Amino acid sequence: MPTDSFSEMTQDSGGLFSDYQFWMGKLSVWGQASTLETQQDTCRHLPLFQEFLRQMYEALKVMDSSTVIERFPTIGQLLAKTCWNPFILAYDESQKILIWCLRCLINKEPQNSGELKLNSWTRGLLSHILSAFRLNIKEVGLFTQSLGYAPVDYYPSLLKNMVLSLLSELRENHLNGFNTQRRIAPERVRALSRVCVPLVTLPDFEPLVEALLTYHGHEPQEMLWPEFFDAVNEAFLLKKISLSKSAIVRLWLRHLPSLEKAMLHLFEKLTSSERNFLRGIECLMKDSLLPEAACHPAIFRIVDEMFRYALLETDGAPEVLATIQVFTWCFVEALEKENKQLKFALKTYFPYASPSLIMVLLQYPKDIPQGLWHQPLKHISEMLREIVEDQTHRSYGGPFESWFLFVHFGGWADIAAEQLLMSEGEPPEALLWLLAFSYSPHDGSQKRAQTMVEVKSVLGRLMKLLRRPTLSAKELQTAVGESQDSDLRPPVCRQLIRCLLLNFLLWAPGGYAVAWEVITLMAQTDEVTHEIIGFLDQTLYRWDRLCMEAPTSRKLARELLTELHAKVSSTDPLNV
Amino acid sequence: MDPLLQHLERFSEVLAVSRTTHVSSWDPATVRRAFQWARYLRHVHRRFSHNVHIRTVLERRLQNQWKLEGDSGPASVPGLTNFRALGCCDLLLSQRLLENPALGDAAFHSLVQELFPGPGVPDAEKETLQGSLALLARRRSAVHLLLFNGYGENLVCQEDTLIKTQAELLLERLHEVGRAEAEGPSRLLSSLWERLPQSNFLKVIAAALLLPSSPRPPKDELELGSSRTPGEGGQELIHWLLGKSDIVATFCRSLPAGLLTSVASHYPELFQIYLGLLTDWGRRLHYDLQKGVWVGAESQDVPWEELYGRFQSLCQAPSPLKGEVLTALESCKAQDGDFEVRGLSIWTDLLLALGSGA
Repeated sequence: MPTDSFSEMTQDSGGLFSDYQFWMGKLSVWGQASTLETQQDTCRHLPLFQEFLRQMYEALKVMDSSTVIERFPTIGQLLAKTCWNPFILAYDESQKILIWCLRCLINKEPQNSGELKLNSWTRGLLSHILSAFRLNIKEVGLFTQSLGYAPVDYYPSLLKNMVLSLLSELRENHLNGFNTQRRIAPERVRALSRVCVPLVTLPDFEPLVEALLTYHGHEPQEMLWPEFFDAVNEAFLLKKISLSKSAIVRLWLRHLPSLEKAMLHLFEKLTSSERNFLRGIECLMKDSLLPEAACHPAIFRIVDEMFRYALLETDGAPEVLATIQVFTWCFVEALEKENKQLKFALKTYFPYASPSLIMVLLQYPKDIPQGLWHQPLKHISEMLREIVEDQTHRSYGGPFESWFLFVHFGGWADIAAEQLLMSEGEPPEALLWLLAFSYSPHDGSQKRAQTMVEVKSVLGRLMKLLRRPTLSAKELQTAVGESQDSDLRPPVCRQLIRCLLLNFLLWAPGGYAVAWEVITLMAQTDEVTHEIIGFLDQTLYRWDRLCMEAPTSRKLARELLTELHAKVSSTDPLNV
Repeated sequence: MDPLLQHLERFSEVLAVSRTTHVSSWDPATVRRAFQWARYLRHVHRRFSHNVHIRTVLERRLQNQWKLEGDSGPASVPGLTNFRALGCCDLLLSQRLLENPALGDAAFHSLVQELFPGPGVPDAEKETLQGSLALLARRRSAVHLLLFNGYGENLVCQEDTLIKTQAELLLERLHEVGRAEAEGPSRLLSSLWERLPQSNFLKVIAAALLLPSSPRPPKDELELGSSRTPGEGGQELIHWLLGKSDIVATFCRSLPAGLLTSVASHYPELFQIYLGLLTDWGRRLHYDLQKGVWVGAESQDVPWEELYGRFQSLCQAPSPLKGEVLTALESCKAQDGDFEVRGLSIWTDLLLALGSGA
């Protein structure tokens, strides 16, 4: 082999060469995967090995068969070992890629005995894969042949019947003419779950996978293989199989790593798609089946724990907050659908929260007349305040725990802001407190009181302008104190006031005319722009959910959202 | 219609040749042409699967062809046997060619190119064939994995599955043959009986008689004759079986008691024959005074334990069977002289044993 081409090749496929050695070693150890250890190790490596085969094919397809042999003298060995491992042949697309690789070895016009030998060897392997593992039960072959059936006619039915017979065995009522009832041994269930690892994505196996997931053995310890759970979960997340909800719930209850992976998969999907609308989040959320599965408290608590970490890790990122809110909407919906009378006490979902607070938070605002919304709000505020400020309620956790619980039902805070602008007369202390708490849970009571005073005075000024038919952007800015050059108010307080101003614009009769101007003045930074977009999206989503009739406000919010989006995408460096 | 039928015939010939050494003369162009024909027939299958008239004509032609091939000797393997086979005729052809060592290197090279063009093929037809072959390979591996790892020690359950599958295939074929000509099923069954290992065949017959209804429910397409009533295939089968007294006798003698009880409770005529055989077998036993047991005169006679086991199994079946069995035994006992003491009449002893066992 010429040196230059060798160095070129090693540069191109140095990784492939070291992989080649690695897999050759593995395949030699695995053999025909007839022992427990080799089966387990094969199963663990199936996806990686398939990837290697793919790379191998990419490398082989550009060479003719003699070059292949020159560069990979032991390729025949490697592929033959692969052909004899039934787990690999059964997995996903491995058998297909393997055939492609073998195809590259066939010489169209063999010139010498070596090439002739290789051809016949390759043909042997191909025929092994395609007509492999002839049923070594003579009678069956003879019978089907006498009836004029080819394997393609009976393999599907044979497989279907095998799956059916295993299913009925799993259901412990296997009864037929030959046999009486018997119980399946745990080791067999375990072995069965191992066999299924490469096969979970084969549609014929779906019923068996379901049955294994929901199979209740009589053993205290888990009898299914962890690799089986991994394979099923992976296939479910990648939408390669469809399983019933109950099977998924069983999967996640029996195998926590799968549940964690499902959550991470959801997070990945949420972050990889560009800035999500709540509708979009809702779709991804429902699609993940997590809210429905969370009707089981054990799953809920783990999902919730992961949300808590996400919130802490991101320092309360608005996207995470929105996700938690959407999750809770969907979860409550699923809970109502699932059981009219609660199967599990609410306490099992929120073990550290005050039960009466949960009851109020869970009330669906839609079921309460709009005019009476201030009552539950007041109730929520008082209970939260008591827990947060009174030292005797330590059992319900610190302010963070109370706030974390409250943000699940974040819609109530938005309703509070809306209610403050709509109620005549003195703004209720309870609503002011709830807003201040929701925006800044860690403030001490003194600082929170300051925020409340500030918000109250801004509200007072805004209320005076509320009924005015015409408004100017300037006077609104003055009213909220935004025009001052050096705004000394803390950022959170300013954010809260922005929220009130945005609500004002949506509801005040004169808001329509000045809205865009006010928002342009307000949205000086990207951060604030995104905050405003988030507010509008969240508000529209909430109104939809609560079936609120507010045609004018709705129209305005939608228009503003469209314009802001246009503005963002025109300045986004990625879009230039 | 005629060109279509000619095409069909030509492809059937190709299919027949594909198993022989004649393929050694095939070149890459021949292989490609054979697959073009196969693709055309698949197209026909798709296009006319809802056209009952064309389907019927094609099916009839295929059946006749099969009959001719069937007559030419037991070794012949039919190619296309029904309309559905047209839908996978390219698969059939590929299997035969892949397994045929007579195919030359260049032809084999082009065969593999044809079957496995690789990823991202623009040709949808080839992509489908490649996918079907890969799926078949995957299913084969699945069957292999289940056979060797799925059943553990439970070989009986594994055997049941194999028998059941064969039973389904048998019923399907009987149904097809029955449509083509009236005496078709019985002819086919007799020729199978001569060719196949009897023990397996008997088990398959029993399983087929117990299958509730049409083994393969009609898929997306309109299956001709899919309106078959439950057990119709079973009726053809039982009709043949009842007409062959020697086969029925072997059937009743060699299959396990429980299985025969199940079959007998579905087919009253078979039950009567079975009961008759049981009493015949009983009459051949005599009482060995020294040992105090019923024994046969010859080695092939049914031992007392087995006879008792078969009667007991029948008595555990749903009510009409048990009643008739007991009535039959009572009348035999009466004929023998209605003894109540053990060791004089086998029927008295059987009734006593069944009474105490029940």
